[in-house]
Amino acid sequence: MTEKLQWARRTVQAVSFFFLLYLIIQAAFPLEVRIPVDLYLRLDPFIAIVAFLTQGEIIIRMLPALGVLLLVVIFGNFFCGWFCPMGATFDFFDRVLFREKKRSKPFDDQPLRRFRYGVFIFAVAAGLLGLQVLYLLDPISLITRTLVIAFYPPAVYIYNHLLPEIQRLLPGNPFILPATKLPIFKVNLLIFLFFAGVLALGVIRRRFWCRYLCPLGTLFSLTSRLRVVRRSVSEACVQCLKCAKECSVGAIPAETPREYRQQDCISCFKCLDCPPEATAFGFHFPRWKGAEAVSLSRRYVVGSLAFGVFSALAIKTNPLQTESGLKNNRLIRPPGALPEKNFVSVCTGCGECLKVCPNNALQSTFLEAGLAGLYTPRLVPRIGYCEEHCNFCGRVCPTEAIRPLSVEEKQKVQMGVAKIDKTRCIAYEEGKVCLVCNEQCSYHAIVGDDKKRPIVKEEICTGCGICENKCPVDGESAIIVYTSGIQKKVKPQQETKA
Amino acid sequence: MDWFSRSKLTRRGFMKGAAAAVALPKMFFLSSPFRPSVAYAAGEADLVIAQQGTPTQLLQAAMAPLGGMGRFVKKGQRVVIKANIAWARTPEQAATNNPELLSALIKMCYQAGAKRVAVWDHTCDNYQFCFSRSGLKKVTQDAGGDIYSGHGRNVYKKVEIPKGKKLKEAEFIQDVLETDVYITFPLPKQHFATELTLGLKNAMGTTWDMELLHKIDLHQCIADINTVRKPDLVVVDAIRILTTNGPKGPGKTEDIGEVCATTDMVAVDAYCASYFKHPKTGKPFRPADIRFIKNAYDLGLGEMNLSKVRMKKVKAA
Repeated sequence: MTEKLQWARRTVQAVSFFFLLYLIIQAAFPLEVRIPVDLYLRLDPFIAIVAFLTQGEIIIRMLPALGVLLLVVIFGNFFCGWFCPMGATFDFFDRVLFREKKRSKPFDDQPLRRFRYGVFIFAVAAGLLGLQVLYLLDPISLITRTLVIAFYPPAVYIYNHLLPEIQRLLPGNPFILPATKLPIFKVNLLIFLFFAGVLALGVIRRRFWCRYLCPLGTLFSLTSRLRVVRRSVSEACVQCLKCAKECSVGAIPAETPREYRQQDCISCFKCLDCPPEATAFGFHFPRWKGAEAVSLSRRYVVGSLAFGVFSALAIKTNPLQTESGLKNNRLIRPPGALPEKNFVSVCTGCGECLKVCPNNALQSTFLEAGLAGLYTPRLVPRIGYCEEHCNFCGRVCPTEAIRPLSVEEKQKVQMGVAKIDKTRCIAYEEGKVCLVCNEQCSYHAIVGDDKKRPIVKEEICTGCGICENKCPVDGESAIIVYTSGIQKKVKPQQETKA
Repeated sequence: MDWFSRSKLTRRGFMKGAAAAVALPKMFFLSSPFRPSVAYAAGEADLVIAQQGTPTQLLQAAMAPLGGMGRFVKKGQRVVIKANIAWARTPEQAATNNPELLSALIKMCYQAGAKRVAVWDHTCDNYQFCFSRSGLKKVTQDAGGDIYSGHGRNVYKKVEIPKGKKLKEAEFIQDVLETDVYITFPLPKQHFATELTLGLKNAMGTTWDMELLHKIDLHQCIADINTVRKPDLVVVDAIRILTTNGPKGPGKTEDIGEVCATTDMVAVDAYCASYFKHPKTGKPFRPADIRFIKNAYDLGLGEMNLSKVRMKKVKAA
């Protein structure tokens, strides 16, 4: 019975992970899936609460997350053990690659368990002041970001290199498989190393991340103490401590195995594998008290709080983040993005928009937007431009940091304005008939003068960057999109005479 | 990590499979070493212009005096149509081919016995948006053809251009170079940089680095790339043309209602130039006004002087 249950749990975990993978793969043209591709992020109550607080209003898309929270409050934390794709990844890698080191002495994790709350307090304090470390630690955002930025490009790379082999196996006529355009992201190595590092922590303790770091798990711990589905141990217990050893989050203390910390339990039911069959799960009346909980001293709480506040202040006063440092006039935000200050505090950096962008135009920032804007999306026209008839990024953003605009609305958003570098433009410098920018411009914002040299009509330029992208000048383009940092609406277009 | 040892894939098995994978396609090629004959039965005209009728009627009317599609497409041959799907525009905006005409063209190729018809273009906008908005993906697939976009560099082949004056080598879509029958299927549009975009310029969409051509010398490069693989047949979709804001549009359109079919790609461009009015003089363009037509003529790609071309206008309906 318990074996079957564990088998069922692993199946659910695998299905959950592959479903996330499926949704991420589906986050692409034509984006016609019925289920929102950012479903998992929308179900994440931690992101929901922080986004509500920082945005100062309820985001409709994130409301399902409150349903998840409600279920957790009533029935206990079933999310981490069964549905969390990050948890599934940990369980997998803890088994196959990063096995827990064997110890002779019991592992006293009291300080580490306290650390988890410290991280949580730190993250919330910093988050409310505008430094979004929380999003970097949120497991759903983390796994989505890692899959998109670190694993999606290598997958395409391998596919493209296998293409000749696949092609060879197919009859030469009529099947032709054009290579997929290789997506590129600057921060991929960084994100991969972070992910690998987090997984490697499993050698210290199974599910190290879930026990000691995960802010979503901490939120569930804080809210699921009064759960009604609870473990109970009968008199038959022989203190074999198998359950304490098996528990993947250390919710069962070795000293008193008949007790447990119900708030830490992730409902994996591994403890049901009890030799004297003394353990059972069932519905019970809510109870506040459990086994000795973590003792958070006032000093610890205040310390964490102060540390979070100071970190946020340090970053706010850092030249990267202060106004002078942020005057990066090439930091073009996706169409429909919230004003910069709100944007960095609401964007979770999940990478859904990077994945869905058909031209690989959206890139993850490193420090260009300051430390608070780490891993937020920006438009890099030289890599890709904003497609005229596409509004996908707004449609997949779980927190509406990129507002969901209709295609028509999006076409009127001015992200920036293109400017021609006349010293490098081959039409001005070498007198060539080029006008690639004029030909490519979707909005007739680039016209030619009588000598066939391009001129930008700034009032109708949307800053989509197709001109910068296609400019044949080597290296840096001769026409560059600059942004004022504020997205405007372009003036209604007048019929242009040719 | 012991997955490898447990799997059934042995080294020997792998080598066998790999050898077969390399050898099999080679054998297919060896089995058909004979290229189709280039000596076609000549039709009664070299440039046929069909007027008045539905797209299908126009195409049939235009092809008949040339000797029918059977003159170009023989049984079992592969046909590549270089369509103009460069932009994510709707068919009414006349920046991309007329879907009905493309459908008729594909069906006509199949009726003539084509083994498989492929429609190619290296799009400027994202190919997925181009294919879906223009409606051309659907009609191609409905007609039983394949539609391909040149967004992946693996479908190109670098070739030298011995006759090229400025462009000495370029990467072309391999399928275009190697196909049995190559049909170019342009639609005339106004174009700010080159005045007009016509059949010769349609060949730009068979190359990888289109922006490079702008950088070297656009007019000469357009002529140069056309020396590599001359189309066996040119079908010009002049049912509706774009007269302003070209080549992307949206702009003003004009319903010409003509379909031109020819084997002479310079002559048809010379003819189609007259659809448009010169912005300065207000008179229709003369062929010599368009530098790439002149350059192509100088390279011996066809006849620019329309009085020397056997031209025929037919009514479709």
